[in-house]
Amino acid sequence: MPVHSKQGRKNRKDPVEAFIPAPCPLSPSLDETLQEISLRIGTSSDVIIRRFTNESLSSLALAFIYIDGLVNADTVNQTVIQPLMEHVTLKSDAITADKAYALIKDQMLPIGGVQEGKTVEHMLSLLFEGYTLILFNGLTMALAADTSGYEKRSVNEPTSQGVIRGPKEGFTESLRVGTSMLRRRLKTSDLRIEEYKIGQRTGTGVALVYLQGIASEDVLAEIRRRLNGIITDSILESNYIEEFIQDGGLTPFPTIQNTERPDAVAGGLLEGQVGIIIDGTPFALLAPSTFFNFFQSSEDYYQRYDISSFLRLIRYGAFFVSMMLPALYIAVTTFHQEMLPTTLLISLAAQREGVPLPALAEALLMELTFDVLREAGVRMPRTIGPAISIVGALVLGQAAVSAGLVSAAMVIVVSFTAISNFVIPSLAIANSIRLIRFLLMLIAATLGLFGIMSFLMALLIHLAGLYSFGVPYLSPVAPMIPRYLKDIFIRVPLWNMPMRPKTSMSKETRRQGPDQKPQSIESQKKKAQLTGQQKKPQGEDQA
Amino acid sequence: MKQRKQAIQPESSLPLSSGLRSLAGKRTSCLLLCLPLLSTLITGCWDNRELNELGIASGSAYDWEDNQWKATYQVINPSSGASGMGGSGGGSTTSPPFITFTVKGKTIMEAIDKTNLTSTREMFFSHSRITVLGESMARHGINQIIDMFLRKQDARETVFVFLAKGEAGDILDQLMQMTKNQGAGIQLMIEQESRLVSYYPGVRLYELAMALSSESGSAVLPEILLTGHKIMDETTETAVTDLPSRLALGKLGVLKGEKLIGWLTQKQAFGLSFMTDKVNKATIAFPSHPEAGDTPDASFILQKSSTTVRPVWEKDHYVMDIHIKGSGILTELGSIADLNERATIAEMEESIEQHVLELVNNSWTEVRKLGADVTGFAVRIHRSDRKRWKQIEQDKSWDSVFRDIEIRPHVSMKIERTGLSNKSFKSVQQK
Repeated sequence: MPVHSKQGRKNRKDPVEAFIPAPCPLSPSLDETLQEISLRIGTSSDVIIRRFTNESLSSLALAFIYIDGLVNADTVNQTVIQPLMEHVTLKSDAITADKAYALIKDQMLPIGGVQEGKTVEHMLSLLFEGYTLILFNGLTMALAADTSGYEKRSVNEPTSQGVIRGPKEGFTESLRVGTSMLRRRLKTSDLRIEEYKIGQRTGTGVALVYLQGIASEDVLAEIRRRLNGIITDSILESNYIEEFIQDGGLTPFPTIQNTERPDAVAGGLLEGQVGIIIDGTPFALLAPSTFFNFFQSSEDYYQRYDISSFLRLIRYGAFFVSMMLPALYIAVTTFHQEMLPTTLLISLAAQREGVPLPALAEALLMELTFDVLREAGVRMPRTIGPAISIVGALVLGQAAVSAGLVSAAMVIVVSFTAISNFVIPSLAIANSIRLIRFLLMLIAATLGLFGIMSFLMALLIHLAGLYSFGVPYLSPVAPMIPRYLKDIFIRVPLWNMPMRPKTSMSKETRRQGPDQKPQSIESQKKKAQLTGQQKKPQGEDQA
Repeated sequence: MKQRKQAIQPESSLPLSSGLRSLAGKRTSCLLLCLPLLSTLITGCWDNRELNELGIASGSAYDWEDNQWKATYQVINPSSGASGMGGSGGGSTTSPPFITFTVKGKTIMEAIDKTNLTSTREMFFSHSRITVLGESMARHGINQIIDMFLRKQDARETVFVFLAKGEAGDILDQLMQMTKNQGAGIQLMIEQESRLVSYYPGVRLYELAMALSSESGSAVLPEILLTGHKIMDETTETAVTDLPSRLALGKLGVLKGEKLIGWLTQKQAFGLSFMTDKVNKATIAFPSHPEAGDTPDASFILQKSSTTVRPVWEKDHYVMDIHIKGSGILTELGSIADLNERATIAEMEESIEQHVLELVNNSWTEVRKLGADVTGFAVRIHRSDRKRWKQIEQDKSWDSVFRDIEIRPHVSMKIERTGLSNKSFKSVQQK
């Protein structure tokens, strides 16, 4: 998408004014107003303007405007046009525009969302959201009735973040569907949804969702400030918002999570994060996010804690493998051959016999090949998809080895690296290490393990210096808060996590009652005996 | 990197009057940032070696010939499928798994450097497993070799050291069955031997250096030899089930100072292992009824053994109190015996003890004759009686003191289990 850069530069003196023109009030004359509107919209075929007047009531002239396709035709006909027409034609009393306006607004529109507007811009923005405008001759005010109803994609399973156990519904492109999914999950009066319109030309609806009292006020204020600060002409996907509001522009690491899963957003809100849902994309944002958030999958909480902990450790392992394995291979085989067991060394040396390229070139070649394959797999039409995997596996893997272009060990290294990359639940962080991997390979080929270690140190320093909306990126590991480590490297049982994680920075930190650990009947009886007869009924209550 | 950036930033944000100069400032800071980065590229690759440029040495042998060092190297040939995996190189099994070549030089490193005149590959010693010293070399003195191993960066002090009677280089030519990497094969052989049989200690180079530099100034090295006369050095020759000639461990060489001064037989070596507490596990054959005959008819697997040596000064000489305690399992019994009887077992234990005692005494006689303190008695005396040791050191009289040493071995062996049967089969059958 071409962004407004050139225009913005020209009008450097006041770029804000260039984007937000002065509002134009509605004219008292219906004709003038209609003229103004049609001037703005042009002659678009989907804009329907219907005006009617009553000969006997010359004072009253009305016009309806709506956009076909954005409105539900039945709703428009039954709740707006029909009552008004009946009124205008049947009642012959002389009526002023003022009275008609009040009457229509208060009594005649059997519809929930009715808004008033005074400027052309406001009315137009409502029009584009599927409202039906009702304009009155002789008034500088107009009514807009919410008749929106357009074709939406039905709720489907998330394509990028599937789970085995857990809810299978994902967000859709519709903002309203998204907020409704959250409402269904969080039936509390604390759920707040603030709506913004961002983008001069796209006018994209952006909803800021959070739980009052759990989300940190500081973070909220900061996010509101950054959202309000966005002046751009288009927001087409959540990444537009992400890039405009995230901390530290010059880092490969994401500081905002994105997810397709309403349950993940709900979980995030309950831990004090703030969600941002953007109209037109099924990907919602969650902020603030720490490094470790990207390794938590919502499925971690839907299956037993032991297997979740195991899987989480595997993910961290896969993260390092995916980032460093080719670099380690290069470093060890070109600098530190003494570190390998002899048998492995001989086996590797045997494979490298007759390979024409140095290890670095070999690794770069194969890694680039994989990235090409991966990109091709995404772009390819679905029907040709399987062909890609055959070409990738057979031609580039098997044949390249037998042709003596690359060694078999390198194919293993590259494929394991690639597979490890997919283990990481968040694509955002998996992508950030894809680039780091290449950098590390170059460093490994020049400085060996020493270079890798130095780079990792630098990376660690960089990560420790990052913040996401005021939350240190590596918290709660650095700064270390031991009692919040229960959900970082392993996941302890839910009943053992009574506190909200520190990242939320909220006042209300407890989320569970005490003693939630399930107890057997025997132990309860014993406990009751020990504490005495009085407490026995309570023990039974808990059971 | 970030820190570097910050360090440079003040310069770039200096208040410069003209735009051109600020641009120059930016450029300078950018340059300053790039230079260290580029320098890493220049300095980095100096020791970069690709795998297919390496000649991986798996063993080395040193001889002394015509007042020159003669070094033989065994270099692994990866494409022969030495890995057992085949690999993409498509090696044929008929090509030998390793190649050897011999070079001569006034110093060892000169010899090694001369390999570059013949070899296509850079020698790489970090995976070397064994080194064999020829008898000629061991009689000439081995200090220089030890120094080279301790000094050189990629040489490993953990290589196992062996002696060879005659040419050491010949040992490296012999192909082994069941393993293609001969160096690693010999290492396995000595490791398993010292773990399961304990006749010879496996001596690594650093252990050799430590022994030679200790108070004793003596060390032992196992001998490796060819059982036949022919060297099997063609891959086709090893395609038989029973090789006419194979590698085996022979005697135990005794070094004093830096020179080889004599050999111990296998039995004497075993006795020495008991004296120096090097026994891990061993099988002892012994006569079950010593009064009935001396022929061994029973076996005992020694599973635990510990030796304590205590020097005692008696009037004019040292007496070494050697306590050997061991326990194990009876595994073979060829005579008539009832193991339910406590007395039978006691008799057998005594027989084993007698046997071990003989081994120790036999070994001590030979060691004393050689006059080399491979038993480590000097260390014991130094530790327990520092005053007298200082005197000995001053007088340089250790050799004579050593010759006067008397040993008093006490052996106690325990049969802990007798296996699954309480009677010998012979007694069952004769009933």
